[in-house]
Amino acid sequence: MRTDDLIAQLSDGLEPVKAGTVTRTLLAALALGLAGSVTVMLLAMGLRPDFHAAMASFGMWMKLAYTLAIALLGVWLVARAGRPGADMAKPILLLAAPVLAIALLAGLQMAAPGADMPGQVIGHSSRICAFLVILTALPSLVAGFWALRRLAPTRLGLAGAGAGLLAGGMGAFVYCFHCQEGAAAFVAIWYTLGIALTTGIGGFLGPRLLRW
Amino acid sequence: MIAQEGQYRDWMLAALGGDAAAYRMLLAGLTRHLRGYYARRLDNGAAEDAVQETLIAIHTRRATYDPALPFTAWVYGIARYKLIDEYRRHKRRATVPLDEARDLFGHDEAQEAIARRDVSKLLDKLPPAKRQLVKDIKLDGVSVVDAAARTGLSESAVKVTVHRAIKTLGEGLEERDADR
Repeated sequence: MRTDDLIAQLSDGLEPVKAGTVTRTLLAALALGLAGSVTVMLLAMGLRPDFHAAMASFGMWMKLAYTLAIALLGVWLVARAGRPGADMAKPILLLAAPVLAIALLAGLQMAAPGADMPGQVIGHSSRICAFLVILTALPSLVAGFWALRRLAPTRLGLAGAGAGLLAGGMGAFVYCFHCQEGAAAFVAIWYTLGIALTTGIGGFLGPRLLRW
Repeated sequence: MIAQEGQYRDWMLAALGGDAAAYRMLLAGLTRHLRGYYARRLDNGAAEDAVQETLIAIHTRRATYDPALPFTAWVYGIARYKLIDEYRRHKRRATVPLDEARDLFGHDEAQEAIARRDVSKLLDKLPPAKRQLVKDIKLDGVSVVDAAARTGLSESAVKVTVHRAIKTLGEGLEERDADR
């Protein structure tokens, strides 16, 4: 086809684009991913038995704040990655803030007099924690890729990693409602590992699944 | 800031609102930049395919343009992505050229055409047989072996002829510059 004909064909019958299309796509992906992750957690693991008591504990709110901060940075990164020409440096650099905060808190807790350092680090579930975070994250990962495929990612590895970060943060957030650990050191190590692995999976899949 | 930013952005915003005339002007304008951009980086046939591919990408993904960000950077992001995609498809090279939005909007087809016309004018000064050899080897990328087979000359004769012809052209260029 001649390029002039293509231009005529594309501009004839041009449909207006509704404002906020990208935002709606992202919100839909978040809602679907969250619903999926909650379902996986409830069916495969179950709500922690001490749920009501936990909601009054510092450890629970610390975990929720840490994982939510990472999930939100992941959303920001995916939103940027889906738009050609948008700068992705800010969400990536800001990632240091929650990680440093939880590391600092872990240090303070472990340095407290009479602290059970190995207990804080290993807890009761360190062997399966990262794996369960990834499992909980999977529906959100699928949703993140679904959203990116409707946008226009131009750096596929980074975009996939962004979806992985979003899913890892989201999965870890949901996993908080199953996991009974409450030490900052445990969260800083094992939750972060699960999130990092999910990010890696996303980065690996990006160039394979996001081409358009 | 790239000079065309204001005009193109206005057309794009109108197009997102459904203004087909503005959209047509926008695509026609972008086509000139895209032709220049791909012509310098891809073979002839592949270049025009990449232009069309990019126009279609701009069209189908137009909702991803955020009016808070520069429009030229958005187009450049897509153009570069399609270039990398083209390289990947033909496994031509693993590395990607370092360039920036300015490289897409800095030149356009008119400048390319002038440069091409200058070269062909210069080539006209050569005798036809030599002109064909220079054109084949230096402009169209024909290998020395193929050119030798086609003309019946030995490979070294082809190389010497092209070398001398380029030298002659260089002298012609110096004379022309001295005349100015």
